[in-house]
Amino acid sequence: MMRSVYLKTLYDKRFFLLGWTLGFMAISALMTSFYPAMHQEGSISSLLESMPAAFKGLVGSLADLTRFDTYIASQLFDIRMPIIAGIMSIILGIGISVADEEKGELRTLLSLPVSRTKLLTQRWLAMLTIMVVIGFGMVAGIYAVLPFIDIASIEPDVLARLSAMTLLIMITFGTIPFAVGLATGRRSVATGVSILIVIGSFLLSTFAQAVDWLSDYEPLSLLHYFPAADIVKNGIDLKDVAVFGVVTVVLLVLSIAFFRARDVA
Amino acid sequence: MSDTTPVIELVDVTKQFGSFKAVSKASMAISKGEVVGFVGANGAGKTTTISMLLGFIRPTEGTVRLFGKDVTPQNAHRSHERIGYAAGDMELPATLTGRQYLDFLLRQSGTKDRSRLQALIERFSPDLNKKFKNLSRGNKQKVALIAAFATDPDVVILDEPSSGLDPAMQEAFLELIKEVQARGTTVFMSSHYLQEVMSACSRVILMKNGQFIEDVDTKQLMAMGGKRITVKSGYRPTKPPKKAEDVETTFENDLLTLSFVYKGDVSELQSWLAAVKQLKDIEVSEYDLEETFHSLYDTEGDKV
Repeated sequence: MMRSVYLKTLYDKRFFLLGWTLGFMAISALMTSFYPAMHQEGSISSLLESMPAAFKGLVGSLADLTRFDTYIASQLFDIRMPIIAGIMSIILGIGISVADEEKGELRTLLSLPVSRTKLLTQRWLAMLTIMVVIGFGMVAGIYAVLPFIDIASIEPDVLARLSAMTLLIMITFGTIPFAVGLATGRRSVATGVSILIVIGSFLLSTFAQAVDWLSDYEPLSLLHYFPAADIVKNGIDLKDVAVFGVVTVVLLVLSIAFFRARDVA
Repeated sequence: MSDTTPVIELVDVTKQFGSFKAVSKASMAISKGEVVGFVGANGAGKTTTISMLLGFIRPTEGTVRLFGKDVTPQNAHRSHERIGYAAGDMELPATLTGRQYLDFLLRQSGTKDRSRLQALIERFSPDLNKKFKNLSRGNKQKVALIAAFATDPDVVILDEPSSGLDPAMQEAFLELIKEVQARGTTVFMSSHYLQEVMSACSRVILMKNGQFIEDVDTKQLMAMGGKRITVKSGYRPTKPPKKAEDVETTFENDLLTLSFVYKGDVSELQSWLAAVKQLKDIEVSEYDLEETFHSLYDTEGDKV
């Protein structure tokens, strides 16, 4: 069972994996189950239209609630899931990077014939695996409720696109604390930088809709590259994928460079 | 690597944390098969030195070599294929059991033969089925020691390895050191227990305030001990011999008790004793090893 750092990390995080998978499943199932009420209540659309712009940002894009795919895109994937995924990713990224060092267990691992690069990449792959499983949990939650709602349906490729982009943003969000944590060995720095980016992205994307001067800076938010409603209608823009890909790869490369050279307490 | 190349080598190694010099210009060389003790007070720099040997931290200046190759955090894992390591305060993965950890260790090092591991388990009898987070310190220490020797490494580096072990296990540990030495394994161990170092090691390196202040053969260190002489005399003005060290004098009930350490010529001591007036009693004992060490530590340390 304990063949590698990858498997050991998965073993260490088995309860986290189980808990968050069930949590994501529950959230997506709940949001799906709310659809009939939202669908039948036509006044909600007009209510949303009358809201101030900043509030619209908080409740999601004003997509057509008469269609399930646009409903789930705006109400689950647009704002809620990225924020929940952001929190989960920060906790996971910190747990897989600096927590071991704080406990002194990283030195024990590094005293074995395991290179720092191998340790880092295998842990990152374990984080990726955990996120994929949690992502499947999210999709399973939707499919678990969907058969009971006659008026709701979604094309599998649409859900696959939304899920893939959610996974991508999870990976990027998780790589931030992971990379900063392993590069510096400091929880405070890793947490601070991650919260700044994740919560900053959320606030920027939310308030840019209402504050004129902020809208110029909105592309600095990572959520800008996850336009859930557009993904339903137009598919995935490869430029968005490239942004997440580049940010993740650059962070990983930098963390490998720093982690390989620094002192481990 | 030729036979004469030191297995462990430090050349003018300095490690600085901010303005604090934890290790300063430290140099040493340890040959294959040597068992070397590493002694010093808390904060002397022993763990920092060991951390550099294992590539956990980089030296600020100087070179660390294992098996003739420079050690850096980037390449340390290569030397770890031939090294066993255990520390008294080693944090073993809390979520694993001893059995899972040893299994993980053997897989990482590519060791297929488990007979050595089995023999060590029988010797130390640790509890391998509880998670480390639920295990006593002594049991954790047993697993750490088993892990250090399980892969039959060429070099074993130990940082206060027997702290937490009961006397029987300490003895088993010392026996193990003697066995691996006979097989040609090099051992470098730091310890607070001088008796342990003296019985296990052929050489002792003394560290104080980040510097190696003494590198001495164990037999030589023992010989440096001398004798403690305690003389009782009714003649109060009695003076100790010229070469006496660590002199203590008390006077009670008209009886002078003069105690001192003597490392000089025995015939001179004999002459001095013959000249002592109103001699009532003489006691000669081996000078305590701890005292020898502390005396050396204080004397040499003052030069630092």
